[in-house]
Amino acid sequence: MKKSRITALAISILTASSALLSTGCSINNSLEGKTVVKMLQYKPEAVAAFEEIEKRFNDTHDDIVLQISSPNEAMIVLKTRLIKEDYPDIVGIGGDIDYSNFLDAGLFMDLSDFEGTEDIKPSYMQIEKDLEFIPQDGIYALPYAANCAGILYNKDMFEENGWEIPETWTEFIALCERIKSSGRQPLYFGFKDIWTTLAPWNALAVGLADADICSQVNAGNTTFTEGYAEVADKIKLLLDYAEPNPYAYSYNDACTAFARGESAMFVIGSYAVPQILSVEPDMNIDSFTFPANENESDNVLNSGIDLQFSVMKECENKEAAYEVLKFLYEDETIQIYLDNQNAVPCKKGDFKLPSMLDGMKPYIEADRMSDFHDHYYPREMCAEALIQTYLMDKNENSAEVFLNRFDKEWARYNRDLIEKVKKYEEGLK
Amino acid sequence: MKSNRKIRKPISNKTKTLLLMLLPALLLFVLFNTIPLITGAFYSFTNYRGYGSYDFVGFRNFSDLFRDIRVGKSYLFTFKYAIAGTILVNVISLLLAMGLNSKIKFKSTLRGMYFLPNILGGLVVGYIFSFIFTYIIPTAAKALNIDFLSNSILASERWAWVGVLIVGVWQTVAMNTIIYISGLQTIPADIYEASAIDGAGKWCTFKKLTLPLLLPFISTNLILSTKNMLMVFDQIISLTKGGPAQSTESISYLIYRNGMEGGQFGFQSANAVVFFILIVTISVVQLVITSKKEEQL
Repeated sequence: MKKSRITALAISILTASSALLSTGCSINNSLEGKTVVKMLQYKPEAVAAFEEIEKRFNDTHDDIVLQISSPNEAMIVLKTRLIKEDYPDIVGIGGDIDYSNFLDAGLFMDLSDFEGTEDIKPSYMQIEKDLEFIPQDGIYALPYAANCAGILYNKDMFEENGWEIPETWTEFIALCERIKSSGRQPLYFGFKDIWTTLAPWNALAVGLADADICSQVNAGNTTFTEGYAEVADKIKLLLDYAEPNPYAYSYNDACTAFARGESAMFVIGSYAVPQILSVEPDMNIDSFTFPANENESDNVLNSGIDLQFSVMKECENKEAAYEVLKFLYEDETIQIYLDNQNAVPCKKGDFKLPSMLDGMKPYIEADRMSDFHDHYYPREMCAEALIQTYLMDKNENSAEVFLNRFDKEWARYNRDLIEKVKKYEEGLK
Repeated sequence: MKSNRKIRKPISNKTKTLLLMLLPALLLFVLFNTIPLITGAFYSFTNYRGYGSYDFVGFRNFSDLFRDIRVGKSYLFTFKYAIAGTILVNVISLLLAMGLNSKIKFKSTLRGMYFLPNILGGLVVGYIFSFIFTYIIPTAAKALNIDFLSNSILASERWAWVGVLIVGVWQTVAMNTIIYISGLQTIPADIYEASAIDGAGKWCTFKKLTLPLLLPFISTNLILSTKNMLMVFDQIISLTKGGPAQSTESISYLIYRNGMEGGQFGFQSANAVVFFILIVTISVVQLVITSKKEEQL
């Protein structure tokens, strides 16, 4: 009796697993003779756009099948896959320190012979170059879309009250005072999610510090204590115009509060717009460049590469991967992405920009842009936590303590890199 | 040689069956526990980022570990949390168990209710409590004019760990209560009758009878809850993400964040090795101390 039960169980397990196997086979059958290109992109919020792109590609291509995955916490997923040596063919990641590290580890293929590279705006190709720890020959990433950060504002509220867009730091503070005295709150922060501290930090830093400050520090030419002094002073002044205790509220809370009109402005990037609109679909949002300087002409728009594509060295079918890239860089495909993500294209050409970026347009058109500083900070140093600690520190000498710590931690976390760069430069001599 | 002189006993059928039963578990344990542990120990001597090439750096990771302020702070936080948590969990669950073991109405229903927190996932509980701490408590405190609660405690560098502790304890108490209830049920009723005849008071009975007889369960619970509390992770992710001002970064959280997301795979592997050795030491010490004091009827 017992034996027959066990046999029955074993048989059912066998049939179940063979059923699984056979479905696996059937998938393979439908792909027979076709090349599969696996792509992983790191923006889960853009999943709808990529599903559309995937569908269009597969409908128009008989011999290649494109599979795009857009997981949550994609960088952790990607890094875990790299540890397992399970490589996708194409990755869509941000232009930040992760890319620099992957490139340094020799994971990517040289894309110099891809035809589309000449159509990409040179300023973004330059950002790509700046992200290389050690200058490389060749092109390893293609910029796709950029985002802009600065200040988003409630357009209806501004028009009702007759507030004007500030162009200098003094004007900005005066505006904040005016909003405050009218009984409204000028800013809202979601500093519980520490990464949001980087939004005002970057917006100030691009205007007030040198764009290459990180490599200057690595070369021993300057310190952050020197370069970031004004940034540190000014970011703390913003706290007076935000809700009390901003460390209690998350990014979602801040987006919701701004959407509901609890604050007139929100220091964040264009990437926050879809989230805000999900709360208040009819909201009239516009943006302007953060006026960090006393001189309007010194102000710089904070803009970096939000999405770029690289082909892994392990990719077995380069031609198919290039075919996918070619499709991605068709104007129509780019427009799908732009409409979905309120992004700025990196390709030259006549694209429809989202209306939320109207206020930043002059800067975009004049190419007065500079990359996010934190794209050069090592992640494990967690600069955003240092900034949060500094903002919470009520002591008189907090700026000094913070900047000292920034310098010290920088040296510790970049030890291997500084050594590597030094060796490289000595090699050049 | 000694072993040659011994006559080898043939392995009996029973032992064979038992060994066979153990084999799958052993295989799985080696595959998913021992091998990763050894790989981790190997990487702790490298500057591996998790991908690409790496160099051997000897004991540099370990010497860095003892000089890193952030790692030091995470150890302080974790131990502060674990010690406070273990004491609270055991006191509360013992009290609850005695209450739930006495003759009261709706005993089974109440037991079920108190076990509920253990069934819910750590993240779900964390997000619910996060909402309570951020919105409900401050609003209530403002209405009642209680000053120190009118700001979310999760936003306070000094008190955020208490918020995490409350959630951690709330969840861990459930399992420990069940273990204590089963422990209390092993104590026969007649010895209580005997002590009542001898004229012992409530406190005396508890101290001289209940506590010593419960000791095996206390030691199990101490080890379980210490280990659970030292590995605190879900609560951190859902409540504070290590903040504010890095004041609630636990060791596991730091290992995960910087080992996986940041490029410190090698360094954090070293951290994990040290943490592993610490946990083993603590468990062994606890086991030795409590097993000496255990009594049998």
